[in-house]
Parts: sequence; structure tokens; C-alpha cells
Amino acid sequence: MQSEVGDWIVGPFVAILGLIGLILFGRANDGEMTVFGAALALFAIVFIFSLIKRRFDGGHAVQAAAKGAGHE
Amino acid sequence: MPTKIEKDSVTGRETTGHEWDGLKELNTPLPKWWLYVFYLTIATSVLQFVLYPSFSYGPGYLHGVLGYTTRQEVDQDVAKIVAKRKADMDKIGTLSFAQIKADPKLLEVALVDGKQVFASNCQPCHGAGGGGNPGYPALAAGAWIWGGTLDAIQKTVTYGVRSDDPNARTSAMPAFGAGLLTQPQIQAVADYVWVTFYGNKADGRDVSEGAKVFNANCAVCHGVKGEGNKLMGAPRLASQVHLYGNTREAIMAQVMGPKMGVMPAWNTRLDPATIKAVTLYVHSLGGGE
Amino acid sequence: MSDAFAAPRPVMYNEDVVKKFIIAAMFWAIVAFLVGVYLAAELAWPSLNFGLSWINFGRLRPVHTSAAIFAFGGSALIGTSLYIVQRTCRARLFGGRALADFLFWGYQFFIVMAALSYVMGYSQSKEYAEPEWHIDLFLTVVWVVYLLIFLGTLLKRQEEHIYVANWFLLAFIVTVAMLHIGNNAAVPISLFSAKSYIVYSGVQDAIVQWWYGHNAVGFFLTAGFLGMMYYFIPKAAGRPVYSYRLSVVHFWTLIFLYIWAGPHHLHWTSLPDWTQMLGMAFSVMLWMPSWGGMINGIMTLSGAWDKLRTDPGLRFSVTAVGFYGMSTFEGPLMSVRQVNALSHYTDWTIGHVHSGALGWVAFIVFGAIYYIVPVLWQRKALYSTRLVSWHYWIATLGIVLYIVSMWVAGITEGLMWRAYDQYGFLQYSFVESVVAIHPYMVVRLLGGLFFLTGGLIMVYNLIQTVKSPTTELPREKLQSGYPAGAVPAAGE
Repeated sequence: MQSEVGDWIVGPFVAILGLIGLILFGRANDGEMTVFGAALALFAIVFIFSLIKRRFDGGHAVQAAAKGAGHE
Repeated sequence: MPTKIEKDSVTGRETTGHEWDGLKELNTPLPKWWLYVFYLTIATSVLQFVLYPSFSYGPGYLHGVLGYTTRQEVDQDVAKIVAKRKADMDKIGTLSFAQIKADPKLLEVALVDGKQVFASNCQPCHGAGGGGNPGYPALAAGAWIWGGTLDAIQKTVTYGVRSDDPNARTSAMPAFGAGLLTQPQIQAVADYVWVTFYGNKADGRDVSEGAKVFNANCAVCHGVKGEGNKLMGAPRLASQVHLYGNTREAIMAQVMGPKMGVMPAWNTRLDPATIKAVTLYVHSLGGGE
Repeated sequence: MSDAFAAPRPVMYNEDVVKKFIIAAMFWAIVAFLVGVYLAAELAWPSLNFGLSWINFGRLRPVHTSAAIFAFGGSALIGTSLYIVQRTCRARLFGGRALADFLFWGYQFFIVMAALSYVMGYSQSKEYAEPEWHIDLFLTVVWVVYLLIFLGTLLKRQEEHIYVANWFLLAFIVTVAMLHIGNNAAVPISLFSAKSYIVYSGVQDAIVQWWYGHNAVGFFLTAGFLGMMYYFIPKAAGRPVYSYRLSVVHFWTLIFLYIWAGPHHLHWTSLPDWTQMLGMAFSVMLWMPSWGGMINGIMTLSGAWDKLRTDPGLRFSVTAVGFYGMSTFEGPLMSVRQVNALSHYTDWTIGHVHSGALGWVAFIVFGAIYYIVPVLWQRKALYSTRLVSWHYWIATLGIVLYIVSMWVAGITEGLMWRAYDQYGFLQYSFVESVVAIHPYMVVRLLGGLFFLTGGLIMVYNLIQTVKSPTTELPREKLQSGYPAGAVPAAGE
């Protein structure tokens, strides 16, 4: 599908954000930073999982539809 | 999409010839009134720049031909108000309380000023009309710790209680829970105070042990009859109004580790005449001595 | 060049991300209105905070303002801007689906984190810029992605010219980025602590804050939503935009003048006189450029006024433009120092902000949403236009109650604070003015409840529009993946 290239840039980028989240979570000095770090890491995991899931689940269907439409 | 100028049938105007997702634009000229009002606002702004302070140029700014400054305007307004008050306030500042009270007109001015000053400065703690709050004496009820005469009130307002001022009224009650009394003794003295001074039913409690503890430890300041001591700032216990609450638990807490309130010295904020005015007002609330 | 545009290539738009933003906007609308109503109740009866720190007024207020401006307004604005830019450029969103999804989820993550940090007691104490440094940095990343997607789509457009809505939207995105970075320059006490200190201090901090704050109004709440207006009003009215020339002139004058008007938030403070005066002059000059948008919005309806009777969604849009005109007259008026001397620190300001926020921003969004939902979800029409009418009248009544009570309360406060008696003493203490405005606080709460009720009616109507079998399009009219050569129909 057409967003393949985008996936390969956005995925690792979000992974880096997730790593930053983990580090903030691990070394946080206050409650807010603990919550923020953990939430950022969780956000990254769920986001990347959804990227992978979409590739496996809907990849073929979307590809077919896109071909039919003669995408850009 | 290629440029294709059309004529709009409703307005008779031509379009600009462009189209986006079915959206077109008419080539209507600017409304005249709109343009002229816009020019007018620009003209008034330019006029304002000439008359009033406008642009900065690093080390200074253009002052404008009127030489206006906000500071000057404020100073003039304040001077006007001060001048209006001056005659009365000068008299209040120099005359004694008795002399002020002898002059009904002057007394009214003092009470009007005092009411306003009280509402803006004292009311947040002491409550509207001096009704008091937990930890803040009820002035209208006459629950005076340092005295309710005009002179005593004036001194308390001027220097405050446990404030930074060297003349502040200061007292300290020991924390009897920190080794001075045992827990049973504290319970006993609380029972005694609660029953004898606060006027609650004994309900079979024996308060004689508490009386002994009280007379040995507390009576020196609070008085044998719990009448308090205004010279030392020891609150009156035999009363219906208590600073930190009416319950037995409140008494226990206060004996073990007493809370001691702070009142600012108002001489840093109010001038002597104004303090006298607010003193007269506080005295008039119903608790004055 | 024109040859390239003669035969447009078919485009498959990314409408998935637009749908997500619309759903989020509706969700946050209810949150924002609900928190607002609760705060209004706390102002009328302060003990409603029950002594709980996380729902006291100071912590809940930024939750309300951020939910209203950034969560509700922002989601609606980003969502519709992605819709508008694709259709008016005839180009699919730049950066693919993953980037658009990151924009959506990243923005929602920002909102949730910001709200959470407020109730936990973390704040920069800067109005409309409360989130601490790490949340600001995260938003910066998300905003750059937004700029990238929007600009990338503009660059690969299949139209020779750029539609006026996109000028406003691009100005909004670029300026908000600049304001956000400039105002939030801060040094954290440690890389692993939420607390930070702003690099500016004293009156310089104040003027940077209101350079930000006023232009958040100017470029987020005005320019952005004017972009929305420039698409949805002509679309719903089926009429060409009234004046292309007016749109050019009012766009550039608005952009140029707005950025200087911030000092009017600091009249009669330690801000230098020349800065105050300059802010006042630029605010007054801003009056007509602001009204340019109103004229273009309302005059676009000439020849289509009858549609107001049949299309209550369009009624929302037009009323929004009316409130916009009123607020942008009231604003310059209040920025005149003599008027400000009365209105500053009073509830008049709150009323002014809400005639803009409820009357302009929320109403223009409602209008756009009533138009866009049947289009996006491919439904015949809205589930019920009667319910839209109910929403319209209840919400309008709510706004009227709100702003009238705040005008009265504000002017009462302003007059009481400056009143002297015959002896030259202040006539009222502050607390007396608090007591005096209590009834208006209750009326304001009532207005807020009306507005919330309207919002709930809308959400019900929209859910039914998407779900109810009565609004289904016949099968042959459904477009799947948009057939070759066809640009998706726009709801006709």
C-alpha cells in the first residue's frame, strides 16, 4: 500500500519516543514525570502494534482497492 | 483547472475564474464603507502616536506631544482623593479616641472608613462583622485575647500578634504533650476544662484529678477560674466562644501541641489615622470594652 | 503549466483521519462543556470543590480552557483542515496514513497528558500555555508533523492556485508553532522533573505571555476558524465567495496587525506606556480587517438566504459569523485604555471571551460538523433537522444568558471597585462586589447548562445519523475507495 514508506519512517520515530518515555519513567523525580514517561512508552507500543496489525489485517484489501482506484 | 471567468447570475459580478472542489470566488471590489472606516482607524492611530507615547528606539521612546504618562495620571487621581480626606483624617490622626467620639460627624467618618478598611483587610480572617472563624478571634463576641479597649485594639492592629514587628504581642503556650504531662493527665485536664469552663455535663466523670493538674500547670496563665490573662495573651477559657473549637478533642489537641495564631503588623500597610479608624470600627462591633 | 491541470488525476482522499478528528472533537466538546458547567457552579458555590485539591478551581480551569480550545476546537480545526486541504488541492494527504495517524493519536495524547498534569497540580502558570516543558516539547513534535502534512499536501496540489481557506489555515499552523516555541522557552529543574522555569522574567515574561495569548486568539481561534468558514459557508450555501479582493486584503491586514495587539491584555500594569498605547492602536486598527471575514461570510449568502430556512447547519455558520463580528467589535472597544480601566479584571472579559468561544468558534464548528458528518459517513442526510433546530435555539439562548449575565456582572464589578463615597473612601470592599455578582454567576451557570444540553442533542443526532437505517444511502450510490476519475461528491 502507498503508505509503506511512511510506515518505515513513522514506526522507528515513534519507537524512539517510546524509548525516551521509558527512560523518563525509570529516572523520574516526581509523580507527573513517572506518569508521563509510562504513558509515552505505552503510547509508542500501542501505536507501533497498530501499524503492524494494519499491515497484516487490511494490507491486501486496501492494496486491491488502491490498485483499482489507480492511486497517485 | 484552467481559468474560466463566469458571470454570476445573482449579483451580476464576474468570478475570478478559478474553482476548487466546486468553490468559486466573485471579483467584487472592496466595500467602500469598509475601506474608509479602516482608513479612519489608521488615521486615529497615527494621531494617537503623535499625541501619546508610541514607539521605542532602544534607549528611550517617543513621548508624544502631550507628555502623558500613566504614573502622572495615577498620582493626580490619588492626590485628589487624599485631599478630599485630608481634613478629617488629620483630625482623626491627632485627636484622642475620646475626642473623636465626642464629635459625631468625625466619628461617622472614622466608622465609614473603618468599615471599609476592615472589610478589605480584616474580614478574610475575622469574618464579616467580626464574627470570627476557627483560629481567628470573634471580635464582635468580645473574645479578646489581648484586650478589647480602644487602646489595646489599636496596639494589636498596629504591631500584630507574633508578627515580625519588634513591638508585636507575643505569647507562647508550652506543648504539654512533649513530655511535660502524661497522656492520662492530659485527658484529665481536658475533662476538667471541658466540664468546668465549657459548661458541659460531667456524666459521672471525676474531674478532681484534672483540677489538680490544671491548677498546677495552667492556672498560672489562664487563671484558676479560667478567666484568662490579657496582659499575657492567655485566652479566657470560661466562655462560650473558643478559638480552636468547643470539643474535648480540640482541648486535648491544644494542650498537647498548641496552635498559636499570627496576625500581621498593619503599620506596614495602613497609616496611623486609618488604624485608629478601624480600631473605632472594631470596638463598635459589639465586643468593645 | 495549464495543460498539467487540464486532466486532473483521480485522488483517493484520506478521510479516515478526518473522521477520527471529528469524533474526538465531539467527545472533547462534551468534556469541555461539562467541566465549564462545573466550574461555573464552583464560582457560584465555592464549596463545590469539596476541599479536594484536584477539582479546585485553579486546577480545573485549565482543564476547561484546554479542553475547549485545544481539544474541541483543535481537533475540529485539524480534522476539517485536513479535509479542506485535500479537496481544494485535489491531493491525498502528504506522508501517508501512518503520519496522519501519528498526528491524530499524538495530538490526543498531548491533550490527555496536559489535562492529567493540571489536575496533578503541574502548571507553568501561563494562561492557555499551562503544560510543562516536556508536554510542550511533545506538542512541538506533533505540530511539526501537522505542518509537514499540510504543507506537503499543498505542494503536491493539482490546482494552480491556493484556495483562500488554505492561506488562513497555513497562517494558523505556522504562527501557532512560532508562538508555542517562543512563549514556552523554559529551563527544567532537571531532565527528569516536570517542573521548569520560564527564561523570561517580570514584565518581559508578561508581554511574551500575552504576545502568545492574544495571538492564540488571533491565529488559532480566528485565522484557523476563518479557514473553516471559507470552505463550509460557500459549500453549504452553494454560492461563490463574495469578494476575492476582500479576502486578500483582510487576510494580509489581519495577519500583519494581530501580532502587535497583545499589550492590550496588560493595560494599566507595569508595562511601559508606549507599549500599552501601541497595543491599543493596533487593536483598534484590527477592527475592519476582522470584519472583512464577517462581510465575506455573510455576503456569500446573497442569493441563498432561503437556505437558512431549510438548512439549520448553515444557520449555525451564519450566526457564528454574526457573533464573530460582535466579538471583534467588542475586542477593539475593550482594548481602548479608558474602557479597559472599567473592564479589566472583571467578568466582562469572561463574557467577551465566551461570546467568541461559544458564539463564533463552537457555532462555526457545529455548522461544519452538521455538513461534514453525512458526507464523511456517506449518509443521505442528517438523522433529524428538527433536532438541529432544537440544538440551535437552546445553544443560542445559552449564549445570550451567558454573555448578558457577564456584561452585567462585569460592569457592576467595575463600577463598584471604582466608587468613592462622599468622604473620599472606597465605597465598597472587594467582598461586597463578590456578593453583588452572585446572582449573575447562577445565571451564567444556567447559560452553560443550556449550551451543554445543546451539545448532547447534537451528539445524539450525529450518532443516529451514522447508525440509523433511515439515513442509509442506496447501495449503488455508495462509493468504495472512490472510483477512477471521480472526485467524491460533496454531500449534494
